[in-house]
Amino acid sequence: LGAGQSIQQTYDLTRYLEHQLRSLAGTYLNYLGPPFNEPDFNPPRLARAERVPSATVDLDLWRGLTDNARLAANYRAYSRLLCYLRVLDGQVGTAELRHRLAHFCASLQGLVLSIGGVMSSLGYPLPAGPPAPPGAPLASNDFLKKMDDFWLLKELQTWLWRSAKDFNRLKKKVPPAVVTLRLEAREF
Amino acid sequence: GLVQSCGHIIPESPVLAIGSNFTALCILNESCLDFGNIYASQIIWKIKNRVIPKEQYREINRTVSSVTFNDTSSLATPLTCNIIADGQIEQNIYGITVTVGLPPEKPKNLSCIVHQLSQLTYSMTCTWDPGTDTFLDTQFRLKYRWAQESFPDCIPTDVNNSCTIPDINFFVNVEIWVEAANALGKAESDPIVLDPIDIVKPLSPHNLSVNSEIVPTVLMLSWENRIGDPVMNLKFNIRYRIIGDTNWMEIPSEDTASTRTSFNVQGLRPYTEYVFSIRCMKEDGKGYWSDWSEEKTGITTEA
Repeated sequence: LGAGQSIQQTYDLTRYLEHQLRSLAGTYLNYLGPPFNEPDFNPPRLARAERVPSATVDLDLWRGLTDNARLAANYRAYSRLLCYLRVLDGQVGTAELRHRLAHFCASLQGLVLSIGGVMSSLGYPLPAGPPAPPGAPLASNDFLKKMDDFWLLKELQTWLWRSAKDFNRLKKKVPPAVVTLRLEAREF
Repeated sequence: GLVQSCGHIIPESPVLAIGSNFTALCILNESCLDFGNIYASQIIWKIKNRVIPKEQYREINRTVSSVTFNDTSSLATPLTCNIIADGQIEQNIYGITVTVGLPPEKPKNLSCIVHQLSQLTYSMTCTWDPGTDTFLDTQFRLKYRWAQESFPDCIPTDVNNSCTIPDINFFVNVEIWVEAANALGKAESDPIVLDPIDIVKPLSPHNLSVNSEIVPTVLMLSWENRIGDPVMNLKFNIRYRIIGDTNWMEIPSEDTASTRTSFNVQGLRPYTEYVFSIRCMKEDGKGYWSDWSEEKTGITTEA
């Protein structure tokens, strides 16, 4: 795949994941039950939630990053979010929800691969080493466990929302393969 | 056991390629030699009950006789090793089953289609040409992987030319191929590489409704699409006919070339009942048309 195609495919996948997560998160929060499934539930971010890559960033700083740095940040974030999500997937009690989580995890794994593909097609090195393992101690009670899950899904939704914008911008910056070939032919 | 076996044949239960040559050995037990006064020279080879000509035998030594077939096509089960001791009746020493067949051919014409099953679920069915019969138990496996991630093989049940993967992910190129294997060998199809989003057959639009308008030559169609926008944009075919008539007319495809949930059909006859049906596919033309939706009727107003 050329860079342009690879970015387009990654952009489509990100929007697809957003679409999937919207209904999946709703189902999962209903599974967690009140207060987590209440629309106005907006708890403070506990210190333990720090282990999940926060999607809250200074937008100017974020936009100021190079494409390479931004892609690498996305790559690292989704690699770690995938780890946590797989832990979630293993504990869910209902088969239908487990199936949907497993499908979503596979798609998210596809996103990590796709971002890696985009980086390679643009000549960027992949971030070294495996993602940092989930560090914080396991939740000491059920409420804290559910809070962890809540924040994981919330951060993931925000990451996907912003990544779609990242890839949409990148898509416009990187010309389709054909144009690139023509430029090369004229030794620009 | 009660009856001591006086010998055995090797190989035990061979699987042989049609047209190849084959040699079997019948090996007598030393213990039987002394007791029964029997020697390899007295061995008689049989296929079922037919004696094999002696020209195909060879006495390797006192206890071992071989039989050779230049073409396995004449072989059948069982192949037995028998002996006639001095003045006694023929005794069976040992027998083997012989299976004759062909190695698998390279599976060809691999093609796949993703069926939308519900709003969020899709399955991918791949079909292929398994090649000529091998006369052997031949296992087919549909294999697929991403660049750095393999998935569990899809193993067909009851058929040997199709397999359905229950859960498929979009927007990541997947490499798909078929492996055929039996006792005589293994063969792999050429791989195909595709993004499953490009081979989708979506569910047809549903909840089609037809409403008359003030203008007597126009009817407004509206419907619901069952595939969400982030998955794919759609284009449509709309066909209609006058009730009782058999000829369908179709809206020019360029008029319905983008995602929508309604359309005004114009140029109709006033005060006439029409039947409508609609189908959809991916906007860029990749993939397959859905089935036609259920038919719905509507009547234009009077002029």
